[in-house]
This record gives sequence, C-alpha cells and structure tokens, in this order.
Amino acid sequence: MTSPFETLTLSRRTLLAGAGASLLLPAAARRAGAAPATGGTLVAVLDPEPAGLVAGLTISAPAVAVSANIFDGLVEYDEGFKLKPSLATSWETSADGTVITFRLRNDVTWHDGTPFTSADVAYSLLEVTKKVHPRGNAVFANLTAVDTPDPYTAVLRFSRPSPVVWAAFNGTETQILPKHLYEGTNPLTNPLNGKPIGTGAFVFKEWVKGERIVLERNPNYWDKGRPYLDRVVFRIIRDPASRAAALETGEAQYIPLNPVPLSDVARIKASKDLVVETRGFEGPAPMYFFDFNLRREPFGDIRVRQAFAHALNRKALAETVFYGLAKPAAGPVPSYQTQFFATDLPQYDYNIAKAEALLDAAGLKKGADGVRLRIDHIPSAYGEDYRRAGEYFKQALKRIGVEVTLRNYDLPTYIKVVFTEYDFDTHSAWYSAYPDPQIGVQRRYWSQAIKKGTPSSNASGIADPEIDAVIERIQTEGNVEKRNADIRELQRLAQVKLPSVNLLELTFYRAYSAKLSGIDLAPFGGYQSLKTVWVGA
Amino acid sequence: MARALQLPEGRVLRYLGLRVVQVVPTILAIVVLNFFFLRLAPGDLAEVMAGEAGSATPEYMAMLRQQFGLDEPLAIQFFKYMGQLFQLNLGYSFRNSMPVLDLILTRAPNTALLMLSSLVLAVALGILFGAISAQWRGRWPDGVLSAFSTIGFATPLFWVGLMLIVLFSVELRWLPAGGMRDLQQVHTGLAAVGDVALHMVLPVLSLAFFYIAIYTRLTRSAMLEVQELDFVRTARAKGIAPLPIAVRHVLRNALLPIVTMTGLQLGTLLSGSVVIETVFAWPGMGRLAFDAVFQRDINLLLGVLFFSSFLVIVSNLATDLVYALLDPRIDVR
Amino acid sequence: MSLDATDILPRAAAPSAPAAPKPRRAVRTSSFGYRFLRSRTALAGSIGLALVAGAALFAAQIFPGDPLDMVARPFIWPFTSAEYPLGTDMLGRDILVGLVYAARVSLAVGLAAAGLAVALGVVFGALSGYFGGWVDQVLTRITEVFQTMPPLVFVVVVVAILTPSVSSIVLGIAVTSWPQVARLVRAEALRLRDAEFVQAARVMGMGHFRIILTHILPNAISPVVVAGSILVASAILTEAALSFLGLGDPNLISWGSMIGSGREVLRTAWYMTALPGLAISLTVMALNLLGNGLNDVLNPRVSLT
Repeated sequence: MTSPFETLTLSRRTLLAGAGASLLLPAAARRAGAAPATGGTLVAVLDPEPAGLVAGLTISAPAVAVSANIFDGLVEYDEGFKLKPSLATSWETSADGTVITFRLRNDVTWHDGTPFTSADVAYSLLEVTKKVHPRGNAVFANLTAVDTPDPYTAVLRFSRPSPVVWAAFNGTETQILPKHLYEGTNPLTNPLNGKPIGTGAFVFKEWVKGERIVLERNPNYWDKGRPYLDRVVFRIIRDPASRAAALETGEAQYIPLNPVPLSDVARIKASKDLVVETRGFEGPAPMYFFDFNLRREPFGDIRVRQAFAHALNRKALAETVFYGLAKPAAGPVPSYQTQFFATDLPQYDYNIAKAEALLDAAGLKKGADGVRLRIDHIPSAYGEDYRRAGEYFKQALKRIGVEVTLRNYDLPTYIKVVFTEYDFDTHSAWYSAYPDPQIGVQRRYWSQAIKKGTPSSNASGIADPEIDAVIERIQTEGNVEKRNADIRELQRLAQVKLPSVNLLELTFYRAYSAKLSGIDLAPFGGYQSLKTVWVGA
Repeated sequence: MARALQLPEGRVLRYLGLRVVQVVPTILAIVVLNFFFLRLAPGDLAEVMAGEAGSATPEYMAMLRQQFGLDEPLAIQFFKYMGQLFQLNLGYSFRNSMPVLDLILTRAPNTALLMLSSLVLAVALGILFGAISAQWRGRWPDGVLSAFSTIGFATPLFWVGLMLIVLFSVELRWLPAGGMRDLQQVHTGLAAVGDVALHMVLPVLSLAFFYIAIYTRLTRSAMLEVQELDFVRTARAKGIAPLPIAVRHVLRNALLPIVTMTGLQLGTLLSGSVVIETVFAWPGMGRLAFDAVFQRDINLLLGVLFFSSFLVIVSNLATDLVYALLDPRIDVR
Repeated sequence: MSLDATDILPRAAAPSAPAAPKPRRAVRTSSFGYRFLRSRTALAGSIGLALVAGAALFAAQIFPGDPLDMVARPFIWPFTSAEYPLGTDMLGRDILVGLVYAARVSLAVGLAAAGLAVALGVVFGALSGYFGGWVDQVLTRITEVFQTMPPLVFVVVVVAILTPSVSSIVLGIAVTSWPQVARLVRAEALRLRDAEFVQAARVMGMGHFRIILTHILPNAISPVVVAGSILVASAILTEAALSFLGLGDPNLISWGSMIGSGREVLRTAWYMTALPGLAISLTVMALNLLGNGLNDVLNPRVSLT
C-alpha cells in the first residue's frame, strides 16, 4: 500500500482563482537562493487562547499553531503533498499492507536532553493518539501494536490495511510526545501541557495567560541550521479589528489563523508592507454546507431540499458574504483534490422559479402572508462570517416563501443543540475535508457517524443504505484506483440524495509582514512550525 | 476638618465587625446561587473542548468529563466546591490549566491598574469641569463642558476605543494598537514602567471619557446645592472672596457624593473592563470572566464572581467609613 | 458599566444608612407642568426623544418593507447616492431604513428593561422600606446579592444561558439594574412611613398595601422617574455593548446590532458603526437631558435657569 498522496497534484490555480484579486507573492519568496538570516523575534497572534500547548492532547487550531513549533511528527507534507521525512527518515509498507516500518533519526534529543527513541513513538501512538486524541481512535482503529526492535525503528502492526492513516502521520495531526515524562501520568492533566517538552525547533519559555506565549530557538535542533528565528512570541488578541491594527503598525508580524476580518483582506493585500497568503490550508480543506434535519417534516421530501438548493445563490454567497474568499463547491470533495474530485456531478443552479415550483409540487403552498414554511436556522458558532451567512440565508429563503428564524448560539450551546439534541430544522457549518475523504467527508454521510453528543458528526441524520455501502467499501478497499472510483460514486450520491447542500470551498488565509521570508506554503503550512521562517527584507 | 474626622475607635471597630458579619451571607448567597444558575447554560466544558478540537469521539468527551469532575452528581460537586471554598481554594480551571485563584491574581492587577487610573483621571477632570460648570453656571463654559461630558457618557465605549486606535495607532503611529506590553523586546525597570504606561494611554482615555460625565455632573450639582446653603451665603455676605469660599466650604462638602460614587464605581470595576479589554487586548479579569462564560469554565466564573463580590463589599465598607468620617451628621450604626 | 441612577441626584442616597429626612415642598401637578415647560433641558430632551419615538412608531409607514432585505450593492458610502442617502452595509442593506427600524427595537429594549427594573425595584424597595424589620433584612440581602454581582458579566451570563434574543437581553439588563431603584424607593419609603399623613391613614384603619399604593408610592415617584430615564439610556448602551460582544438578537435590527455587524469593517466602512453610534449617542443624550430636566423640576432646591 503506497500513500495515496504520492500521485496527488494540487491544482493551485483553481484555488487561487477563487481568491478573487490577484495574489501578491511575497517578493522574498521569489528571491530563491537568498541566504536566510538568523536572529530576530517574531511576534505572532492567536485567537482564541489554546487550552493547552500539547496539540496531541487538546487539539484546536491555535493549539496546533503553537504546538507544531515545540513538537515534531513522524513526517510532514511538502508543497506537492508528498511525504517528507521529519522524525522518521524512511518508511516501508509490507506487501499485504498491514505492517508499516518507520526508520527514525538517531540524533534527536528532547528539550530536556533525553534522547528520542522508538519507545516514544510506540507510547505516543498507542497511549496518546489512540486513547486520548479526539480523532485518533477512529483513524488508527486498526493499529494493534507498535514493535520497537531497536531504538530507531518502529514497526506498526495493523489488523487490516488502513490507507487512511497515511493522511494522519503528519506532525500537525499526530505528535510524538516524550514517554519518559508522560508514562504513568494522566496525559490530560499532566502539568507539562502548560510547559511542554518536545523535540521541535523551538523550546517553550513562558506562558502568561491571556497575554502571550514565548518560545525560544532550540540550539540542539536536529534540522541543522534551523530555526532561523531567535524567539517567537504568540500574542493573544481577541478582537479582529485589533489584530488588523497590530499588523498594520508592525507590532505583530505573522497571524496564521483568522488574521483579519474578511472585509479587510483587500486592504491588507493592497498594502505593500503586508501579505495575504491563501496557500497553506489545502490540507485541512474546509468545506461549507447547509444541512437539513432529516428527522423533521418537510425535509423528508427531496423536492423541498432541492428547492432550497435552487434558492441559494452560491456565487453571491461567495462574493458578498465571504468577500470572494470562497468558491462555489460542486460537491463534498474540494476541486483541488484532483485525484478524488469527480467532475460532472449533478448541480443545482440558482433558479427561484424552479425552487418555487418544487415547493408547490411538494404541497407547500403560499399562505395569505406569502409564507409557505416557517423554520429555524442555526449558523455555525465558529465565527461572525457564518452568522452573516445565516443572515443571507434568511433573506434568500424569504424569496421563496420560507420564513427563517435565526438562532445564534455560543460554541457549547451550538454543539449541544445541534449535535446532541438535534434540535434544529437547518444548520450551516464547515467541516475539514482533510486530505482523505474517509477522515473528513465520510462523517457527514455515514449512518455510523450519527453519534449523539459528538461535534462535527453526522447531524442531518442521513442513513441511506446505498451511501453506507459505498462508504464501507472505501474504508476497506486496498486498491487505490478502485477506491478512488468509489469515492467519486460517493460524491455523486451525495449530490443526488442531497441530505445537505454543498455550498462553498472556503479559502482560509494568513496575513503577515512582507519582511518575512521562508513562509511554509505546504498543504498544512498554516499550522506548521515556523522553523523555515526568517526575517529579511 | 480635624473635628469632623474624630470618631471613637470602638464604634468604628464594632461597626466594621457588624458589617463583616452581615456581608458573609451575601457572598455565600452569591456563590451558591451562581453555582446552580451557571449550570443552566446549555453545554459544558467538554463540549467546548471537543468543539475547538473540530471533532471528537464520545469516549473522548466522556473522559474529559471525568477529568473535570462533571460526571459526578450535582450535590457531590456542590459540597466538594463549598468545602474547597472554605479553605479559600477556588478550584482548578481546566480550560486554562491553572488554579483559579492564581489565574485571578495574575489578571486582577492588570484590570485594577487600568480602572483605577481611569477613575483617578475621571475624578480629577470631573471635579475640575464640574467646579468650572457650577461657578459659571448658565454661561458658555457650563454648556460646553456639560455637552462634552454628556457626549462622553452617551457614546458607546467600544466605538470610542476603536476610533482612538484607528486615529492614534494606525494613522498617526503615536501609540501602540493594543496589548499591555511591548512583546518584541523585554524592558526592565523604568523602561518597563514607561512601556506599560504607553500602552495604557488609549484605554484609560476611552474609559475616562465615559466616567467624566458622572463626576462632572455630580460635582456641578453638589456644588450648586451647597452654594444655596446658609453657611455659604453667610460667608458670601460677610464679604469673603468667592474663590476661598468655593475651595474651602463648597468643595469640601461636595466631596461626599463624589466619594460615594467613587466607592460604587470601584465596586463595578469588572464590568466596564470587559469591553475595554476586548478592544485593547488587555489581559485583565473582565475578559477572563467573559471568556469563562463561553468556555463554560464554571470554576473560573464562580471564582471571578466571588472575588469581585468581595471587592464590591470591601469598597462599599470603605466608602461608608470615609463617608461617615467626612460627614459628622451621619451616624455610624 | 451601567450608570448608577443615584448619581443624577444631588442628594446622593447613602448606600447603607437611610437618608436623614429633609424638608421638602409638596409637589403639585400644575406646578410640575409649568416648571417642566420652563426647563430648557427637560424640553430639549423631550423633543429629541419625541423625534426618536416618532421614527420608531412610524417606521413602517415611512419605509415600508423589510429593513433586513439586501436591496443594493454593498458598501455604498453615505451621501453618495440619492436612492440610499445613508449608504448600504456589507450585505447591501439600506442603512437609513435600518436606523429607523432599529429605533423601535433599541427603544423597546430600553423601555422594557427599564420598566421591568423599575417594577422590580419599586416592589422590593417599597416593601423593604415600609415594613422594616425582618422583611427589610431579607429583601435587602436579596437586593445586595444582585447589586454586588458585576453587572455586565451577569447580563452576559443570563443572555448566554437563555441564548441571545431580545427577551433574554431585556431580562438580563433588568435583573442587574433593579437594585438601584430598590435602594432609592426604600430610602423614600423609610422617610415617608413616619410622615404624618401616613400615620393618619394607619390610624384610620387603612390596610398596609393600600397605604403603600396610595400614599407612599406617589410621593416616592420622582426620584424613580429620574432614575428610570437614566435606566433607559443605560439599557440602550448595554444592548449595544452586548451586540458588540456578539450577543445580539439576530432576527431583529437594532442600533447595537448595526454597530456589531459594522465592527469588522471599522477601518474601511466606519460609517456603518458611526451612524448607529451617533443615533445611540443622540438618544442617550436626549434621555439624559430629560432626566436632568426632570430632576431640576422635581427637586425644588435648584432654581431653574
């Protein structure tokens, strides 16, 4: 079993086309061959403050952004979505696909001086990733053992071939933690989570809650010559306008996540001192959609769902609500995952007349006040932009006689109401598709992914035997070509059965000072370590 | 003045003791009430962490709940909490991986610094504006100053803050755009003090702009009222020049409501800071409390409520005492 | 952050000790009306308020339709288009229409919250001050509990628990503002219960509640009215702050929600926050002036200019 990604090519032009105005490539990036300058402090910004700095345990976007500097994984993705050695120097898979052998570096030490060995890998995969990581249990379900014949070899044994694990070995998803410091403790409450010891390019220095996290260069880092920066300081700034201001005054130089409000992107891009970069998020691949609660009338009738699909103008949504930083989605899989993406999927064009005709046919006639149907809608609680989209949905659906009441909840209420109580008519959300649909897309359509109380699971309640069959074939098929065909079939079924309307491929972005060079543009670059970055104009 | 300040010490102590006894049930009631009330909020910390993770398995969430002690029966959680409280242990904040008391003690001084500075500035300017307004009542200084202070009170605080940032930080580059300290270099000693002071300018100005109105109006009306009193009219009739009258008699007696007001405002330090700390990324207690609500960090929120209630009560007590000391007519009961 | 209503009064009611009874002329309606009209501040405030109220009441007649409709190109600047005199927001909604309709919600929130706070405060304060004894002790403790909690934080808690909507906002604001009113009313009730006309009523056999309703409350009403106008103002400001913090009602348009949605575009389209901010400022100022004027009118100590 080879990694499905070794043949993957990214269509970056497609991605950039959706970003609207031309993207200014940082002049520094073009200066190939310019020698990196060492030294300097980089001030980065985070929001919200992470709960802990060991992303392997308490994973969240800001936690990963910090943690990737302190910890390494076995491998990393490079710009071509190929696997690059990190703590592992090489790897091979057995013929039947059930054994993966990693050869590890022999010159790595933890920040406290202890040597890194395969025992750390075994511990991390079995005790942390499988037991404590929120997704690890599902992704590594078939991992039964990790043998360590010598300090620099780790042999992973699976009960069945699992192509999906290749999408999870990168350091941002699966971290390697120090066994000697975590074994025997409860990983979740280990005080080291607030002052971590890793193998990474930067050493943890201090964390002043609510204000800053400070990291310093690791002088004994295994990737010789790197990192270039002396220090990295992560500031916590909650307000988007304040973040934009910090960038513009130069007080902050790098903001990897949610840097500035969408509406400011054009202005920041136009500034010659600042750069907006949309590359670096193809790994997580955020996809935005509109879910129906199939448990509720009248959403059992497919004509009603189709009517909604025809009433939502995805292009207008992308341009107005998301300021062009999104592209209409043809299906559940992003178009830049060219090896999985199915062309010629059934689409629902923006057509009010068709929508109204469908609703009439479904028996939802207009009342005296012009209203056919009264429903509620819960926008994703992950940001203001999604609430604005909710306002758009409200007005758009009004045109076909559907009166929408918006319910804006905070994050914990949103999770409770949508994913535990299923107390909604419709909701909109984005999920990460991840590099393999089995990790990201599957959980929206699989009946086994209906897990009460679990966020980002199957909320619509779709339980279709045809879809389930395709999904289960995808999970077990070892042959890449056959599997890709099944993945294309899944996309077609998703569009035809329409338990949710696939709206947009979102474009996430970073904003940073034009003086920075060496920004990581790999698919997970938005979250990865800053070891390649240097300050040089 | 010296005569007014005399008060038998025994009475003061007895008064204080009585007030403390009266006050303990109030604080307890606040804690108990909120312990149950906060749990009415849908969702819990496990859901927040799972939500931030982007996905989670039910097993993961069950494990989190077990870690946080959320799976125990409510009565047990309550008794455990009260038991800890009596040892002045405010519990552990799982979201921040720190004991609640430590977290509060690191953030409270930041808020106090900001709010106290704003209060001082607002009181000083307010008294000045109020005195001018009262002295020139009905003429243009009165109108202008009253208008200015009213605008300050009426304009939403966050708007003022954001506009100040746009003007002074982004356009003029005179002042930092937020935060409490310069994070690129580490300053020490006097430079560190100067650094923090620089970061304080905009937030303090925004806050003071709001509070000035209160003190201007208070001073103005208090002074106007006292000006009508007999002993002031007598002094004027005696031919004593207006300025000494203003300063000695009138101002001193106008201090009473100002002191009361300041005491009251001191007690509500926390609320005003939520908005300001958000806009200026100031690491204070207001924002800590606000985040705790949305992270369902009940321990932390309870701790903050406890702490701030304690502060309110202490400042009320202090205000009462000062009030009693200043006004011999008020009996300390 | 809410302004304490007591600060508007020249006689600052002491927080714990009851105010020493001061001599006061009885207030007669005719003299109130006369004095009100002569007070420039009260007049100015009333006119301003009347304008706002008028806009609120007749919004549907002036601008028929739905203010939330996306009618035009986004980000049209004010004074650049005849069709949209105050411009459009980021979703293409007409700002002038929004402002007028928002007046309804903001005023309604202000009035409802203040009304509820006054109702609660009057009940607690009157019972507390009139009966004294253990009733007073218990009620005062309860009042203290709500007074001691940091107001904005507690409003946020209430709104978070009940999830953001106009009703939860009104409830949250009312619950944190009634203690001020209660204190005022209690002080007045304490002062009045020993007055001669009350004693006379007791002797005549009038029931306690009738006395409270007919004798105590009407005379205690003036500081409450002044406090009420300030409460309305502070409720409007609190609603704006809540919207800024992301806790507004998404189904209605209010000045606060307009500021909230304009928050992210502060740098490029600052008119989106400036205009509703201005509307709030003007309304709050009008309410302030009204409160000031009412205070001058109802407190005969200060001679009117």
